[in-house]
Amino acid sequence: MDGDWEEVGRLLLPPPGANAIATPGIPPAVAFDTSQELLWTGNEQGRVSSFYSTELTRYTAFKAGDGEIQQLLLHDRGVIALCAGSVHMALRRGPPIWHIQYGRPYMTEQARDVIADGGTSEILVAGEQDQMFVIDVEKGIVIKQMPTNDYYTKMKRCRYICAATTTGSVNILDSVSFKKIKTWNAYTSRVIDMDAQHDFIVTCGISARMQQAYMSLQPEAFVNVFDLKNMISMAPIPFPAGGAFVRMHPRMSTTSVVASQHGQIQVVDLMNVNTNNIRQANLAPNEYLSTMEIAPSGEAILLGDTSGQVHLWGSPSRIRFAELSNPVEFADPEETHPALNWSVDTPLSSIGMPYYREQLLSAWPSHMIFEIGAPPQKIDAQTTSQLKVTEWGAWARKTRNVKRNQVENTRAAEKTSTSLQAPKFLSEKARESANDASADRRISD
Amino acid sequence: SLHANDTLYSELNREVENGRIARLLMKLGTINERPEYEGNPQWSEQDGRYVIKMFRDFLFHQVDAEGKPVIDMGHIISCLNKVDAGSQEKITLTARDDQNIFVVSYNEIKKQVNAAWAELQKPSMRR
Repeated sequence: MDGDWEEVGRLLLPPPGANAIATPGIPPAVAFDTSQELLWTGNEQGRVSSFYSTELTRYTAFKAGDGEIQQLLLHDRGVIALCAGSVHMALRRGPPIWHIQYGRPYMTEQARDVIADGGTSEILVAGEQDQMFVIDVEKGIVIKQMPTNDYYTKMKRCRYICAATTTGSVNILDSVSFKKIKTWNAYTSRVIDMDAQHDFIVTCGISARMQQAYMSLQPEAFVNVFDLKNMISMAPIPFPAGGAFVRMHPRMSTTSVVASQHGQIQVVDLMNVNTNNIRQANLAPNEYLSTMEIAPSGEAILLGDTSGQVHLWGSPSRIRFAELSNPVEFADPEETHPALNWSVDTPLSSIGMPYYREQLLSAWPSHMIFEIGAPPQKIDAQTTSQLKVTEWGAWARKTRNVKRNQVENTRAAEKTSTSLQAPKFLSEKARESANDASADRRISD
Repeated sequence: SLHANDTLYSELNREVENGRIARLLMKLGTINERPEYEGNPQWSEQDGRYVIKMFRDFLFHQVDAEGKPVIDMGHIISCLNKVDAGSQEKITLTARDDQNIFVVSYNEIKKQVNAAWAELQKPSMRR
């Protein structure tokens, strides 16, 4: 990788909620877009925000769920957010496509969920729970459910689905049947980061189970590598600063990027571990890295720290996110319209309709015909007796047991009030009902 | 008499759009903010109907830089016309708390309104 890499942008993520203060320490979910120059972040209150280009200007934002966003996946049609409690898919422009709320059958609310990015039509969702399920991305429904003995924390799809368990091993699953092909015991305690690409899985982890207090601070001083072609584990790459985050370079198939929690970044060739290329991210004292992500183009790296800042690294001249970028869809500039004044004479036709071909929204269904002119509702005696008259009108407590704004047939009420009529013969009644029916038909026609 | 005819035509021309705009407003009015929707997930921030709420604010609740209400009839009418015709033009809708920012086309808003309207007409909703 080139020597001119440096920090090109820095962004303080917006606070998680309207009234919330940023809670440092919780890593936000971040992802680079695969087809547009966008950066996606998800926070602990279920909000997803996107930022445009290397300037990181705010583009869209939406709410994907009520829990913490665990992972963001980019799809051709939109962005999929995995949340504690739900899976949400939205257009990049913001409007939702579908939303799956976990009921009991799918997932417990507390589960940390992860996902295998199929990129195509299906995604596999699993977590720290006994069930995995498959979602059809087009339809937005759960199509398959499977029991699992292992609880998963990370998942990545390459030629297989590589899933890191809570016990420090990595399960290699068949990407069609989701059956376990092999288990690789990478660490004795926990895998904290994993990436898989082409023929390799690389992991960072912790082995010492007893050092509970140091767990998150003391990752192992090497990166484990697994060769998927030959199904054997390779010699670990030494990383003295303690490997906390690791990513494979998307375009250099044997190169990986490793970072420590203190911000030391190293670019390593898996085939030739002695070539070193070290950078140091500028972190405020007492801040740690919480995430690292590499762009699909390989030309940008994102580092998130515990103070809620994201640092964008890359070569200033060539930085871009997506391999092949489509333009981002912005709002069209608003055309100027003539200023109208609110006078009685201003016709509502002053501004013309745009060109159109489909049925207008204002089209009123033809079967909806209403009778008008029914007498107004009577205020009943009990209410009238309690009326309190004030300057602006009169008010009383609601006494009658009807819904607010309930429609009542005032015509019928009128009729029954004058119903002391002479009894009718059967023949008369029959004639009357026939008349009624014909009258009804006339109205509905 | 020709002159009278012309006057009639120009009068008609002035008023011909009124019915259309009134019907459109009636539709939007009956759909928006029904108390039955309280707690209905379809109208929550995670569903498409939320766009209708945001559009209502965009239409009627414009403010200037100092936060004072801006009442611009031209804006309302031109937006109503565009949503009526289902224009492909895109606008940015922002929620009241600034936490949701959508870029949507008038055509997408129209589809949401139509869906909500169709649902309102279903017998199960009438009770």
